[in-house]
Amino acid sequence: MSACFFWSQYNMTKPIIKGDTIKVPSSPEFLPDVDGFLEGTLRGYGVDESAVADIAISVSELVNNAIVHGNKVSPHKMVTVRISRARKTVTVSVSDEGGGFDPTDVPNPLADENLLHEVGRGLFIVRSLMDKVDVQTTGTGTTVVITKAV
Amino acid sequence: MRLTDREINNVVILEPKGKIMGGPDASLLHDKLYELIENDKKKVVIDLGGVEWMNSTGLGILISSYTTLRNHQGELKLANVTDKIQSLLTITKLISVFEAHDSVEEAVNSFK
Repeated sequence: MSACFFWSQYNMTKPIIKGDTIKVPSSPEFLPDVDGFLEGTLRGYGVDESAVADIAISVSELVNNAIVHGNKVSPHKMVTVRISRARKTVTVSVSDEGGGFDPTDVPNPLADENLLHEVGRGLFIVRSLMDKVDVQTTGTGTTVVITKAV
Repeated sequence: MRLTDREINNVVILEPKGKIMGGPDASLLHDKLYELIENDKKKVVIDLGGVEWMNSTGLGILISSYTTLRNHQGELKLANVTDKIQSLLTITKLISVFEAHDSVEEAVNSFK
Protein backbone atom coordinates (compact mmCIF):
# COMPACT_ATOMS: atom_id res chain seq x y z
CA MET A 1 0.00 0.00 0.00
CA SER A 2 1.68 3.19 -1.15
CA ALA A 3 2.04 6.38 0.85
CA CYS A 4 -0.09 8.11 -1.79
CA PHE A 5 -2.98 5.80 -1.01
CA PHE A 6 -2.51 6.42 2.73
CA TRP A 7 -3.01 10.14 2.24
CA SER A 8 -6.24 9.28 0.46
CA GLN A 9 -7.88 12.20 -1.22
CA TYR A 10 -11.16 10.34 -0.80
CA ASN A 11 -11.31 10.73 2.97
CA MET A 12 -11.11 14.40 3.81
CA THR A 13 -13.62 14.50 6.61
CA LYS A 14 -11.39 13.63 9.53
CA PRO A 15 -7.81 14.05 10.73
CA ILE A 16 -5.11 11.81 9.37
CA ILE A 17 -2.15 11.02 11.60
CA LYS A 18 1.06 9.42 10.39
CA GLY A 19 4.12 9.48 12.60
CA ASP A 20 4.97 13.04 13.49
CA THR A 21 2.44 14.56 11.09
CA ILE A 22 -1.25 15.35 11.30
CA LYS A 23 -3.40 16.55 8.39
CA VAL A 24 -6.81 18.05 9.06
CA PRO A 25 -9.61 19.32 6.83
CA SER A 26 -9.99 23.07 6.77
CA SER A 27 -12.56 23.52 9.49
CA PRO A 28 -12.12 25.06 12.96
CA GLU A 29 -13.80 21.98 14.49
CA PHE A 30 -10.49 20.13 14.05
CA LEU A 31 -8.43 22.57 16.13
CA PRO A 32 -8.73 20.35 19.25
CA ASP A 33 -7.47 17.36 17.23
CA VAL A 34 -4.33 19.25 16.24
CA ASP A 35 -3.85 20.50 19.80
CA GLY A 36 -4.25 17.05 21.30
CA PHE A 37 -1.77 15.52 18.87
CA LEU A 38 0.71 18.35 19.34
CA GLU A 39 0.65 18.47 23.13
CA GLY A 40 0.85 14.70 23.39
CA THR A 41 3.87 14.65 21.11
CA LEU A 42 5.60 17.49 22.98
CA ARG A 43 5.06 15.85 26.36
CA GLY A 44 6.45 12.64 24.89
CA TYR A 45 9.57 14.62 23.97
CA GLY A 46 9.79 15.75 27.63
CA VAL A 47 9.12 19.44 26.89
CA ASP A 48 8.20 21.46 30.00
CA GLU A 49 4.61 22.63 30.40
CA SER A 50 5.28 26.33 29.84
CA ALA A 51 6.94 25.63 26.51
CA VAL A 52 4.16 23.17 25.61
CA ALA A 53 1.63 25.96 26.15
CA ASP A 54 3.64 28.52 24.13
CA ILE A 55 4.04 26.11 21.23
CA ALA A 56 0.39 25.01 21.43
CA ILE A 57 -0.80 28.62 21.38
CA SER A 58 1.45 29.40 18.41
CA VAL A 59 0.40 26.34 16.42
CA SER A 60 -3.27 27.08 17.08
CA GLU A 61 -2.73 30.56 15.64
CA LEU A 62 -1.05 29.18 12.54
CA VAL A 63 -3.64 26.45 12.00
CA ASN A 64 -6.44 28.99 12.41
CA ASN A 65 -4.76 31.22 9.83
CA ALA A 66 -4.21 28.28 7.47
CA ILE A 67 -7.86 27.22 7.73
CA VAL A 68 -9.43 30.65 7.46
CA HIS A 69 -7.03 32.79 5.41
CA GLY A 70 -5.01 30.18 3.52
CA ASN A 71 -7.58 27.55 2.63
CA LYS A 72 -10.68 29.81 2.97
CA VAL A 73 -12.37 27.08 5.08
CA SER A 74 -12.60 24.90 1.98
CA PRO A 75 -13.50 21.29 2.83
CA HIS A 76 -11.33 20.08 -0.06
CA LYS A 77 -8.13 21.63 1.26
CA MET A 78 -6.03 20.29 4.10
CA VAL A 79 -3.76 21.79 6.72
CA THR A 80 -0.61 19.80 7.49
CA VAL A 81 1.23 20.06 10.81
CA ARG A 82 4.62 18.38 11.22
CA ILE A 83 6.56 18.22 14.49
CA SER A 84 10.23 17.42 15.04
CA ARG A 85 12.78 17.65 17.82
CA ALA A 86 16.48 18.30 17.78
CA ARG A 87 18.59 18.15 20.92
CA LYS A 88 17.70 21.62 22.20
CA THR A 89 14.86 22.75 19.98
CA VAL A 90 11.40 21.79 18.79
CA THR A 91 10.31 22.69 15.27
CA VAL A 92 6.75 22.71 13.97
CA SER A 93 5.67 23.45 10.42
CA VAL A 94 2.11 24.36 9.44
CA SER A 95 1.21 24.23 5.75
CA ASP A 96 -1.88 25.20 3.81
CA GLU A 97 -2.94 24.82 0.17
CA GLY A 98 -3.95 28.39 -0.40
CA GLY A 99 -2.79 31.20 -2.63
CA GLY A 100 -0.07 32.64 -0.41
CA PHE A 101 0.08 35.96 1.42
CA ASP A 102 2.38 38.87 2.17
CA PRO A 103 3.46 38.58 5.84
CA THR A 104 4.43 42.27 5.84
CA ASP A 105 0.89 43.22 4.89
CA VAL A 106 -0.54 42.68 8.37
CA PRO A 107 -1.62 45.73 10.39
CA ASN A 108 0.28 46.43 13.60
CA PRO A 109 -1.93 45.06 16.42
CA LEU A 110 -0.20 47.31 18.95
CA ALA A 111 -1.22 50.53 17.21
CA ASP A 112 -3.79 52.45 19.24
CA GLU A 113 -6.32 52.37 16.41
CA ASN A 114 -6.09 48.55 16.26
CA LEU A 115 -6.10 47.74 19.96
CA LEU A 116 -9.80 46.90 20.15
CA HIS A 117 -9.84 44.96 16.89
CA GLU A 118 -11.03 41.42 17.53
CA VAL A 119 -8.66 39.88 14.99
CA GLY A 120 -5.18 40.49 13.62
CA ARG A 121 -2.93 39.37 16.49
CA GLY A 122 -2.16 35.79 15.54
CA LEU A 123 1.17 36.16 13.75
CA PHE A 124 2.32 38.80 16.23
CA ILE A 125 1.72 36.39 19.11
CA VAL A 126 3.59 33.62 17.29
CA ARG A 127 6.60 35.90 16.75
CA SER A 128 6.50 36.91 20.43
CA LEU A 129 6.35 33.35 21.82
CA MET A 130 8.68 31.54 19.42
CA ASP A 131 12.45 31.88 18.98
CA LYS A 132 12.34 31.67 15.19
CA VAL A 133 9.54 32.08 12.63
CA ASP A 134 10.07 31.44 8.94
CA VAL A 135 7.29 32.10 6.42
CA GLN A 136 7.57 30.37 3.04
CA THR A 137 4.73 31.43 0.76
CA THR A 138 3.96 30.81 -2.91
CA GLY A 139 0.88 30.92 -5.09
CA THR A 140 0.09 27.29 -4.22
CA GLY A 141 0.43 27.41 -0.48
CA THR A 142 2.12 28.75 2.61
CA THR A 143 4.29 26.97 5.15
CA VAL A 144 5.21 28.62 8.43
CA VAL A 145 8.05 26.99 10.36
CA ILE A 146 8.42 27.84 14.05
CA THR A 147 11.24 26.86 16.34
CA LYS A 148 11.51 27.05 20.12
CA ALA A 149 14.42 26.25 22.38
CA VAL A 150 13.35 23.70 24.98
CA MET B 1 -14.32 24.92 26.38
CA ARG B 2 -17.08 24.53 28.95
CA LEU B 3 -18.92 27.53 30.35
CA THR B 4 -20.73 27.86 33.67
CA ASP B 5 -22.15 30.94 35.34
CA ARG B 6 -23.32 32.14 38.75
CA GLU B 7 -24.42 35.41 40.28
CA ILE B 8 -23.20 37.34 43.31
CA ASN B 9 -24.71 40.68 44.35
CA ASN B 10 -26.24 41.29 40.91
CA VAL B 11 -22.90 40.58 39.23
CA VAL B 12 -22.73 37.62 36.85
CA ILE B 13 -19.59 35.51 37.00
CA LEU B 14 -18.82 33.59 33.83
CA GLU B 15 -16.48 30.63 34.30
CA PRO B 16 -14.98 29.25 31.10
CA LYS B 17 -12.99 26.05 31.60
CA GLY B 18 -10.39 24.54 29.31
CA LYS B 19 -8.63 26.18 26.36
CA ILE B 20 -10.06 29.02 24.30
CA MET B 21 -8.60 28.51 20.84
CA GLY B 22 -11.49 29.03 18.45
CA GLY B 23 -13.65 26.48 16.74
CA PRO B 24 -17.21 25.63 17.77
CA ASP B 25 -16.77 26.79 21.36
CA ALA B 26 -15.95 30.32 20.29
CA SER B 27 -19.58 31.36 20.19
CA LEU B 28 -20.44 30.03 23.67
CA LEU B 29 -19.27 33.11 25.55
CA HIS B 30 -20.64 35.47 22.92
CA ASP B 31 -24.11 33.86 22.98
CA LYS B 32 -24.18 33.84 26.79
CA LEU B 33 -23.29 37.51 26.93
CA TYR B 34 -26.14 38.47 24.64
CA GLU B 35 -28.50 36.41 26.76
CA LEU B 36 -27.37 38.33 29.84
CA ILE B 37 -27.79 41.69 28.15
CA GLU B 38 -31.31 40.75 27.05
CA ASN B 39 -32.06 39.97 30.70
CA ASP B 40 -30.56 43.30 31.79
CA LYS B 41 -27.58 41.65 33.48
CA LYS B 42 -24.77 44.02 32.56
CA LYS B 43 -22.20 43.66 35.33
CA VAL B 44 -20.02 40.73 34.32
CA VAL B 45 -16.85 39.15 35.66
CA ILE B 46 -15.05 36.54 33.58
CA ASP B 47 -13.19 34.21 35.93
CA LEU B 48 -10.21 32.97 33.93
CA GLY B 49 -8.85 30.72 36.67
CA GLY B 50 -10.00 27.61 34.82
CA VAL B 51 -8.62 28.59 31.43
CA GLU B 52 -5.41 26.71 30.69
CA TRP B 53 -4.51 29.03 27.83
CA MET B 54 -6.08 31.08 25.09
CA ASN B 55 -4.90 32.31 21.72
CA SER B 56 -5.76 35.45 19.76
CA THR B 57 -9.25 34.10 19.10
CA GLY B 58 -9.76 33.97 22.84
CA LEU B 59 -8.46 37.51 23.19
CA GLY B 60 -10.84 38.54 20.43
CA ILE B 61 -13.72 37.01 22.36
CA LEU B 62 -12.71 38.99 25.45
CA ILE B 63 -12.51 42.20 23.40
CA SER B 64 -15.87 41.51 21.79
CA SER B 65 -17.40 40.87 25.21
CA TYR B 66 -15.88 44.07 26.57
CA THR B 67 -17.11 46.29 23.73
CA THR B 68 -20.53 44.64 23.57
CA LEU B 69 -21.16 45.26 27.25
CA ARG B 70 -19.75 48.78 27.04
CA ASN B 71 -22.05 49.56 24.12
CA HIS B 72 -24.99 48.46 26.28
CA GLN B 73 -23.90 50.59 29.25
CA GLY B 74 -22.47 47.53 31.00
CA GLU B 75 -19.08 46.60 32.38
CA LEU B 76 -16.74 43.62 32.04
CA LYS B 77 -13.93 42.77 34.43
CA LEU B 78 -11.50 39.86 34.64
CA ALA B 79 -10.56 37.76 37.64
CA ASN B 80 -7.96 35.06 38.40
CA VAL B 81 -5.89 35.77 35.32
CA THR B 82 -3.23 33.06 35.04
CA ASP B 83 0.42 33.89 34.37
CA LYS B 84 0.18 32.63 30.77
CA ILE B 85 -2.86 34.80 29.97
CA GLN B 86 -1.36 37.76 31.84
CA SER B 87 1.69 37.40 29.60
CA LEU B 88 -0.48 37.44 26.47
CA LEU B 89 -2.43 40.47 27.68
CA THR B 90 0.85 42.25 28.31
CA ILE B 91 2.56 41.53 25.00
CA THR B 92 -0.58 42.56 23.08
CA LYS B 93 -1.03 45.73 25.20
CA LEU B 94 -4.51 44.55 26.13
CA ILE B 95 -3.46 44.79 29.75
CA SER B 96 -4.27 48.49 29.38
CA VAL B 97 -7.85 47.71 28.28
CA PHE B 98 -9.07 45.18 30.82
CA GLU B 99 -9.53 45.69 34.55
CA ALA B 100 -8.12 42.50 36.12
CA HIS B 101 -8.52 41.40 39.73
CA ASP B 102 -6.80 38.73 41.80
CA SER B 103 -10.08 37.14 42.86
CA VAL B 104 -13.74 36.98 41.91
CA GLU B 105 -14.64 38.55 45.26
CA GLU B 106 -12.38 41.52 44.60
CA ALA B 107 -13.81 41.93 41.10
CA VAL B 108 -17.41 41.80 42.35
CA ASN B 109 -16.70 44.35 45.09
CA SER B 110 -15.14 46.72 42.57
CA PHE B 111 -18.46 47.34 40.84
CA LYS B 112 -20.05 50.56 42.05
